[in-house]
Amino acid sequence: MMETEYGPGRTIPHPVMFRVLDAEADDTTIPEIKVEHKSEFAYYPGCVDYYDVEMQFSHMNYGDTNHGIIFDSSIKLLRAVGVEPMILDRSFMKCCGHDQLWQGKVDVFERMRDYNTKIIKMLGVKTLVTSCAEGYRTFRLDYTLDGVRVVHITQFLYERGLRIPPQPETARKVRVAFQDPCRSGRQMPVGAVFEEPRELIKRVDNAELVELKTFRADAQCCGVAQMMYCNDKTKGLTRKRMDEAQEVDADYLLTACPKCLTHFGCLHHENKWKPGEERYAYKVMDITQFLAERLPGDYPTGSNIDSRRKEPPLPGRKGGGT
Amino acid sequence: MEIEHVKEKIMEGRPGFPRQYGPQRADHQPGIPLFPQEATRDLVVIFLLTAILFFLSAYVTPFLGPARSPQLSELIVPDWYLLFSWGLLKVADILPQFTLGEGTPLKTEFNAVWWGDLLSGIPIIALLLLPFLDRGREARPAKAPVRSAVGMAGIASIFTSSLYSIREVVAQRWTTPNYSALIPDNTMKWFFIIPPVLVGLATYIGLRRLGFQSMRKWLAPVVAGAALIVIGQSAATLVLPGWLGPEVAPYVLWVAAFLILLSAASALAAFGVIALPESKARRLSTWTGVGAILGFAAMYLYLDATDKAGLSWVLSVLEPNMNTLLMLPIFAVLTAWLGTRRPYSTYEYLLNECYQCGKCHTVCPVTKVEDDALGGLNLVYNTFKKQHDGVPLWTCLACDACSAVCPLDIQYSDYILEERRKVHARMAADGGERE
Repeated sequence: MMETEYGPGRTIPHPVMFRVLDAEADDTTIPEIKVEHKSEFAYYPGCVDYYDVEMQFSHMNYGDTNHGIIFDSSIKLLRAVGVEPMILDRSFMKCCGHDQLWQGKVDVFERMRDYNTKIIKMLGVKTLVTSCAEGYRTFRLDYTLDGVRVVHITQFLYERGLRIPPQPETARKVRVAFQDPCRSGRQMPVGAVFEEPRELIKRVDNAELVELKTFRADAQCCGVAQMMYCNDKTKGLTRKRMDEAQEVDADYLLTACPKCLTHFGCLHHENKWKPGEERYAYKVMDITQFLAERLPGDYPTGSNIDSRRKEPPLPGRKGGGT
Repeated sequence: MEIEHVKEKIMEGRPGFPRQYGPQRADHQPGIPLFPQEATRDLVVIFLLTAILFFLSAYVTPFLGPARSPQLSELIVPDWYLLFSWGLLKVADILPQFTLGEGTPLKTEFNAVWWGDLLSGIPIIALLLLPFLDRGREARPAKAPVRSAVGMAGIASIFTSSLYSIREVVAQRWTTPNYSALIPDNTMKWFFIIPPVLVGLATYIGLRRLGFQSMRKWLAPVVAGAALIVIGQSAATLVLPGWLGPEVAPYVLWVAAFLILLSAASALAAFGVIALPESKARRLSTWTGVGAILGFAAMYLYLDATDKAGLSWVLSVLEPNMNTLLMLPIFAVLTAWLGTRRPYSTYEYLLNECYQCGKCHTVCPVTKVEDDALGGLNLVYNTFKKQHDGVPLWTCLACDACSAVCPLDIQYSDYILEERRKVHARMAADGGERE
């Protein structure tokens, strides 16, 4: 039934990457677990670093989207609210399984879920913080983590009272639009993340929150879900969404979902290819990066950040390195 | 275009719709409120009808015939549709009777008359309270299992109270071989409680299962409990000395066979529910029910052909316990059968609720850009209705915009999950994934 004029390739979700992830799920032996800070607060960065570093997904078109910065920004923000989290990195955790589940590979998802649940229970996690909307939904709804509180990082920062210090006088007023991810907003019957990111943005004194044409539970999808089926049609959807940000004259388009970031970043960069035709005159970034840039202090040293660097990485391939 | 501007103007400065799907949704159209709009209209109609009734009874009195002599000794029975009310009046004298506020102006006698009035009023009271107790918006029985269970229990109680009201007729018609009533009054009084409760439980379990809930947690204790009661009571009837009188002695084998039939049926149902997977338990309960009915029929026919009094004896020894011994096996088998029933199809059930209001079409992002997916409503519904070859199903973003606006709370992404899972299962069955 899958043979069409477009060829069977239409149904294949990003073949190589998901083959690797599926093969990974088969191996359920538990490796040696090394965590730096044993804590009841755990931070799960998700698999976006993996997409970014190993598969060079966002760099395929030499774009400037930096996923790794989400991890570093999250750690910086969590430290700013006085939490040194236990990092559940991918050396011993697997992908949360969201993409596999929604691609229909339920058996792969179940293997990942059982494995991850075992590790999370083993480490004695009480609060699981995730910076990924899909991870938030999956851990909260599709896993049965009894006794573990799953929160999105914006919820956690909000309830812990993150304070953004006053910005310098020279700082320009910026208009900030927020894209509500489907997974953490509309799809959550309880604990939908609508208010917290907005409240956090309002705490930045030179930022003005502007709403897109569709927002909160009505927000239009960014165009691609579960990392499958990227073509001109889905680009069209992404473009519709980014046009909305252009219409409200935003300086920043923030999102809380790394997948949205990937696809916004991809299109954002594509529209810069021809000089003079630049369509989107705003920056696309994750909300954690936006907030962390406005905090004083350095980024913590992350896995994919140059240890000598004290500033957030510049846009460009390989994080703007020389 | 004009309407877009108008919409934007209306939405200006509003904090957005806090719209979610699930029980917390608050954006449904509330409709016309009962008070005062509906109430005003209804009161006008009520007063009009009352006025007509008064007019007719005052001026157009029909001749009802001569009054019946109170000395008449034959059994007077009201029309059949009033029997339940009569039964409720009759049963009132088993309720406690006392007087409150003796010697004060507020003296109230809680006597049989008072209780009878109250019992007869319960259906009316329930109807009056219904809109306040049941705030749900589901009209389908399977979607509101509690309400449906209460309703079924009410229907069952109408039958049992009707039966109680004609207990004199029952006592005349069906007697044991020693000319006492086959179903004594005391047993009949319990008819008011036990059969409606059992009917309600069975309905609840069956309807919850129809709503795609796994009912194991309910089934195991309920069916096993019923089976234990039946087995315990059968054993007590056979073993304890006081239960079987001397005149039953010639029929003791038949009584034993009958009790074993009942116990075996309930035990089999309980075993299936506890130990077997759902489909096997279903089959087992079906065959148990069929077998028990056939066994009972065979026993009845044989006894009827050989010895007329036999079956009466068998039934008469069960008389003080008729509720448990006769109702509980039926209840156990039926509940096991209903509770292990597979709903036909998730999508038949869920997506057929759609009344095609088109809200999902408005919000579905994919149908705007994907030529293959064009069609009536959102992508999932079009796939369900087979408006295309199934390929556009894979373009669904599972963004849930359709579920969020759906006035019937249909959760479309579950369908996407299920369909994609099926395709992968088919690929695996074909010997591996296709590239």
